[in-house]
Amino acid sequence: MIDPLIHAALLMTTPILLAAIGGLVNRVGGIVNIGLESMMLTGALVAVIVSADTGSVVLALLAALVAGGIVGLLMSLVVTRLAANEIIVGLGFSVAVAGLVRFLLKSVYGVSGTFNPPGVVMLPRIDIPVIADVPILGAILSGQDPLTWFAWAMVPVTAFVLARTRLGLRLRAAGSAEMTARALGLDPLASRDASTVFAGAMSGLAGAHLSIGVVGLFNEGITGGRGFIALAAFYFGRNRPWRTALGALLFGFFEALQIRLQGRGVPAELVQMLPYLIVILVLTGLGLANRRRSGSSS
Amino acid sequence: MSAPASRTRIGARAIVRRFGPVIANDGIDFAAAPGTIHAIVGGNGAGKSTLMRILQGVDRPDDGSVILDDREVRLTAPADAFARGIGMVHQEFMLVDELTLLENLILAREPVHAGGVIDRRKALAEAERVAAMAGVTLDWQMRVADAPVHIRQILEILRLLYRGADVLILDEPTAVLAPTQVRELIGLMRRLKAEGRTILFISHKLDEVMNAADSITVIRRGRAITTVLPGETSKAKLSEMMVGEPVELPLVHPAAPHAGVPVLAIDTLVARDGRGLPRLGPITLNLYPGEIVGIAGVAGNGQDELAAAAAGLGEIDAGSIRMDGRDITRARTGSFRDLGIAYLSADRAGDGLCLSASIRDNFIAGSEHAPAFSKSGLLRLRAIHEGARRALDTLSVRYGAMGDPVKSLSGGNQQRVAIAREFERKPRILIAAQPTRGVDIAGIAFIHRQIVAFRDAGGAVLLISEELDEILSLSDRIVGLYGGRITGELDRSDASVERVGRLMLGEKAA
Repeated sequence: MIDPLIHAALLMTTPILLAAIGGLVNRVGGIVNIGLESMMLTGALVAVIVSADTGSVVLALLAALVAGGIVGLLMSLVVTRLAANEIIVGLGFSVAVAGLVRFLLKSVYGVSGTFNPPGVVMLPRIDIPVIADVPILGAILSGQDPLTWFAWAMVPVTAFVLARTRLGLRLRAAGSAEMTARALGLDPLASRDASTVFAGAMSGLAGAHLSIGVVGLFNEGITGGRGFIALAAFYFGRNRPWRTALGALLFGFFEALQIRLQGRGVPAELVQMLPYLIVILVLTGLGLANRRRSGSSS
Repeated sequence: MSAPASRTRIGARAIVRRFGPVIANDGIDFAAAPGTIHAIVGGNGAGKSTLMRILQGVDRPDDGSVILDDREVRLTAPADAFARGIGMVHQEFMLVDELTLLENLILAREPVHAGGVIDRRKALAEAERVAAMAGVTLDWQMRVADAPVHIRQILEILRLLYRGADVLILDEPTAVLAPTQVRELIGLMRRLKAEGRTILFISHKLDEVMNAADSITVIRRGRAITTVLPGETSKAKLSEMMVGEPVELPLVHPAAPHAGVPVLAIDTLVARDGRGLPRLGPITLNLYPGEIVGIAGVAGNGQDELAAAAAGLGEIDAGSIRMDGRDITRARTGSFRDLGIAYLSADRAGDGLCLSASIRDNFIAGSEHAPAFSKSGLLRLRAIHEGARRALDTLSVRYGAMGDPVKSLSGGNQQRVAIAREFERKPRILIAAQPTRGVDIAGIAFIHRQIVAFRDAGGAVLLISEELDEILSLSDRIVGLYGGRITGELDRSDASVERVGRLMLGEKAA
């Protein structure tokens, strides 16, 4: 009973975590990326196409990563070089990419809504002998796909890079004091662009996880607002990688719980609302806590 | 670093810089020897900041040149100046609040291991090295956001040392410091000088200049008037050289003697600045109808706080403000205005005007509920337009269209819009803080006439200005402000540059 839930929770966490890590780095660099959803959607579609065409999971993941990164770069250039508002541009990308995807499916593949080409190769599962039979631990460690391992490995890596490397320091400076960074001879806009490309690439992988990691096909609603849940996760994490991972896990858990609660008498639509409701509750609680803290210090 | 043989580490030779018809630098010469503290003093608009921009490579002279190590050079960019060892600490600090002191120190010049991982041990060792050089100790892991302002300033100086600068330009460095911190800063400057570094100390606080500098160049109206040694001069002589002779403006007639009750009575008032530091008081000052009281003082001696308090914007700790005998100390800003106190702010872009809003909207700001301009919650656009046009024409404001943003106007015309707005309310008291800052000569004369006309019609004016000329030519009474306290009062007939200068420098009136 509990083991399948844990396993499902981790599976649901992976795309949120990937996108959230990307969004976190982007935010540290000075852009709140509302367009994560569009980069996820791009990655999901590209992964299915490349996987079906080549039969190679590695190529599919690479393609999703690059495609997401390109969407990220486009969005970043509009924000940093044309000084457009990042919220509007992010929303615009989310809407525009969704429309473009629908158009491509229709015009190139002649399908609408769902694209299910033959020969899609899914992400493999990594079973770990012995541990697989240990309760709970087996559900956590065994039978996960490589992207899940990658996503969790990226948490300490991101923490280290941000805190301890030249790259991370300059990104933090670019994000919080652009003028100062420039006065010291840095190029804050380039740092910012790089962080958005990273966010796009991570979101591309997140999309690939949804399409070739979970269901094996593409659907235009496949991302289901997970780009926005990722946004909530890194806000919850206050730019800290481990806290952000905790937020992603929380939302992943309720996603899994929601799936298991379906068909148990509660209307499905209400149950499906659960993860999103939790996002609102968590962010509200966070806001109240912030207010109390700033109130007591003044 | 610098060639020890050079006689001039940094200097200027006949530097000229024009902006249209305005000549900001009109042939400036100075020379700072290596290993000295060289002060550059001058009033607002004397041309100090233009000169600094040129020395830093941000701006280029139209004529003349920068001298480095006895040779004429052309600085092409700030990076060029920096490569030649010139670094500057601006009044606005260039620090990243979110980062630690150490991270700010090394930012853009990080010592790294392979793979770009920051070598923390080396960074800390370097930090300790520059700190020891300057004779200070810092908590390097503290975030800048949590660091007090004098620590931030020291960090800025240490960063210049870390990056290898040996000429340090400090722009009004003591403006943000408390007196004990000023002493510490001067100590730090002396230690750096002993290290062989050259310091350009831009200031208009003559106490500190006399105390710290090895030589002093006085700049007035774009010209270097003279360079003197502190031992050869005095604060009074310096201030006289900074100000020059007052321009005679024969438009002020002695006002009638004070009639009975003050319209504004400030009693043992104590106020803080925006950072919460005590800056003003206790001071007691009465303002009578039909007079202009000029507040003379060097910037940062409590003028801003006095203006804010009198306009109902201040952080008041103690004491009271009464208008017609009624206590308004704790009243809202709106009440001050409704009672008839008008305010021309020294900070036009901040709280004087809304620069991005239209001329029309600025004109009615604060009066948008007045029956003349609104009816049942809707603005009466035609009435507003007519009212604004009439008022602006009266003040000869030159503008394109009423809907243009105020920032499209020149400084002088912006100030006229502010005056039009304030006078439309038919005030009885005018708080005029630096009313002609950034205004050209013709505009200055016009604004002065407006202030005098207001006084002649029975209004009371509190005139706060760093321009001694302005104080001397307009005021019926002159009150000196120094260190937040009143140093003395002079009647118009007794006032002279020397006597007012002494009041500004904290010496009691004889």
